[in-house]
Amino acid sequence: MLKINRRTLLKSGVASVAASSLATPLIAQSRSLKVGSYGGYFEDSFKSFVYPEFTAATGIEVESVTQPNSADWLVTMQQAASAGTVPTDISLYGRQQMIKASRIGGLIAPLNVSAIANASNLDGYFVFEGPDGPQGVGAMSWFTAMVFNPNEVDTPASWADFWDTDKFEASLGLSNVNSSGLLDITSATFFDGEETMMSNEGILAIIDKVREIKPNVTLWWNAESQMEQGMKNGDVIGGQYYLDVANLMASDGFPIQPTFPKEGNLQDYGSWCLSEGSEKSEEAAEFMNFSCDPATQALMSRNIGTAPLVDQAMTDLTDEEFAFVSGSPSIKPAYEAYLDNETFIKESWDKMLAES
Amino acid sequence: MTVADDIDVAADSPAEATPRLIRKGALYGVLSALMVVFCVVPFILVIVISFGRKVEGAAWVWDFTFENYQRFFVGVLWPDEVTFLYLQQLGYSFYFAIIASLLAVLTALPFTLLLTRLKRSAQAIWLVFILSSLSMSEVFIVMGWDILLSNNSGLPRLFQVTGLTQWLKDVGWFQTLRDIGLANPRNVKFKPSEFATILTMSYLVWPYAVILLYPALSRLDPSLSEAARTMGASRWTVTRTVTLPSIRLPLMGTTLLLFVFLLGSYVTISVFATPDKQTTAVAIYSNIRGSNLNAPFGSAQAVILLISASICLYFGHLLNRKAEAR
Repeated sequence: MLKINRRTLLKSGVASVAASSLATPLIAQSRSLKVGSYGGYFEDSFKSFVYPEFTAATGIEVESVTQPNSADWLVTMQQAASAGTVPTDISLYGRQQMIKASRIGGLIAPLNVSAIANASNLDGYFVFEGPDGPQGVGAMSWFTAMVFNPNEVDTPASWADFWDTDKFEASLGLSNVNSSGLLDITSATFFDGEETMMSNEGILAIIDKVREIKPNVTLWWNAESQMEQGMKNGDVIGGQYYLDVANLMASDGFPIQPTFPKEGNLQDYGSWCLSEGSEKSEEAAEFMNFSCDPATQALMSRNIGTAPLVDQAMTDLTDEEFAFVSGSPSIKPAYEAYLDNETFIKESWDKMLAES
Repeated sequence: MTVADDIDVAADSPAEATPRLIRKGALYGVLSALMVVFCVVPFILVIVISFGRKVEGAAWVWDFTFENYQRFFVGVLWPDEVTFLYLQQLGYSFYFAIIASLLAVLTALPFTLLLTRLKRSAQAIWLVFILSSLSMSEVFIVMGWDILLSNNSGLPRLFQVTGLTQWLKDVGWFQTLRDIGLANPRNVKFKPSEFATILTMSYLVWPYAVILLYPALSRLDPSLSEAARTMGASRWTVTRTVTLPSIRLPLMGTTLLLFVFLLGSYVTISVFATPDKQTTAVAIYSNIRGSNLNAPFGSAQAVILLISASICLYFGHLLNRKAEAR
């Protein structure tokens, strides 16, 4: 009974959307899809460049939904699921959040990968296998890069330079969230990377090393905008920041330059996941298929600044365009460690930060 | 039913009284239902969730465990290892709230005193101005101070262009500022720091202090202090023995209210406080909405913060009673 009601409600919702978008009333009435993406510039670019292409190719209208790039969205989805609503048909999750969603259960539905032929363009790693089959298809990738103020310092060759107090005393901006990459970067620079992250002793050794950088950090940021302001205002002359945004800021003339030091930069990626309870699995599969197309990957790289999940050779991106959004080497976050050892890492990290 | 209600009903004719009673009853019913739904239920939820259990790598589940409370006092690794991290955060919650509320009241007091001596029209203009500044949210105020204290657009810039930074370097005081974290090798810096945190928190509640003190101060009888003055008391003696004792209660009340208000400051602390001086409010948020989805531990911290605040209020109340009795 409830299901029929909801369906009727959905239909009437779709009908009203159709009525409001007079240009393509017939298409909208037939098929539509609610897609979540991180707000601001990111979502605007999707609305201006990616969704219209998708609608042109498939006739499916996209309704854009703003969602945060954090566990916040899992809380929202959980609440929505218990209330019996579906805020989006497709949401965008970072790998760690996606695994969490999969473990919590009842949030993301299994996918029919045979309907997503283009997924074969992606490395198998980017199709996430949950307990009941595939639950996520890679959407795009992004780097957290080393950035610096070229007016104040020379290009650092290694992350280890940030530990040099003569150069960076009270001048760096780093993230204060334990899982946002500094542990992985420190491990890649001074230890054995992901392997060191897998034991408690390893974690503590890395945290001891991070403790040594504290006199050089003036801003422990938790919101992206804090770091943006810090670089613009000259409060900060180096640190970790998103590669795409740093490049955009640099092209606007702000004193910031991203670089790939010899250890590399942290690379994470987002996946499209189908919400449990969504009745648009077919449309969702079409959207994911469209997203895995090398042409779409290149479209996103050009207009949103994300790194493609397919080989550069498959796309028509020039070397210059590719260097704007990607680079090497890449440091992969130790997802398993963060998930299985969450409380220990958080408390040890918080303790280190709270020492005076 | 109260006596007053009886009288009210008796005064009306019985035919009118019944619908009015029903209306009254319905109103009370709706109001209590609203109270229960919007205040009591969320409150009970927080308490119940605080006994839940975190699942590593996922979210949390309902349970009945005291582990979250134990973690607050000794850390998650107890008994192998003890940490007072969360007690330290609670300590800084109180530290910042106490200092900032005292500072706000102490600076608002002379201002409000002078304000009450102005002409009525001038008073009204000031009060409207102060009331309107209350409409600014914490986020706006923090943003404003963030810009004012920034290197390229704020106070440090002023230090640089006026040559003050160079002068500090010349006389050797610059090194001292670097040692206490108020400078980097290039220029002075005021954030993040205790200075910026307390300044912004006091600024945030200052209008409240003025508005809360104003009624009491405007009722002060000027003839009392005039009488004391004519009897030869100095200005300071008058303030100490006449003015302050007569506004003791509003002063205490205002400070307590601002203190409780500031205990929950989030934006100011997360932007301006150094990581070693973060507070419980920030920790609660990072547990509930942050990356680790540990609502039970966040709720336990919230419950402890609430209990600590209640104890403070209780002692404040006791002190007030004592002061009244004297």
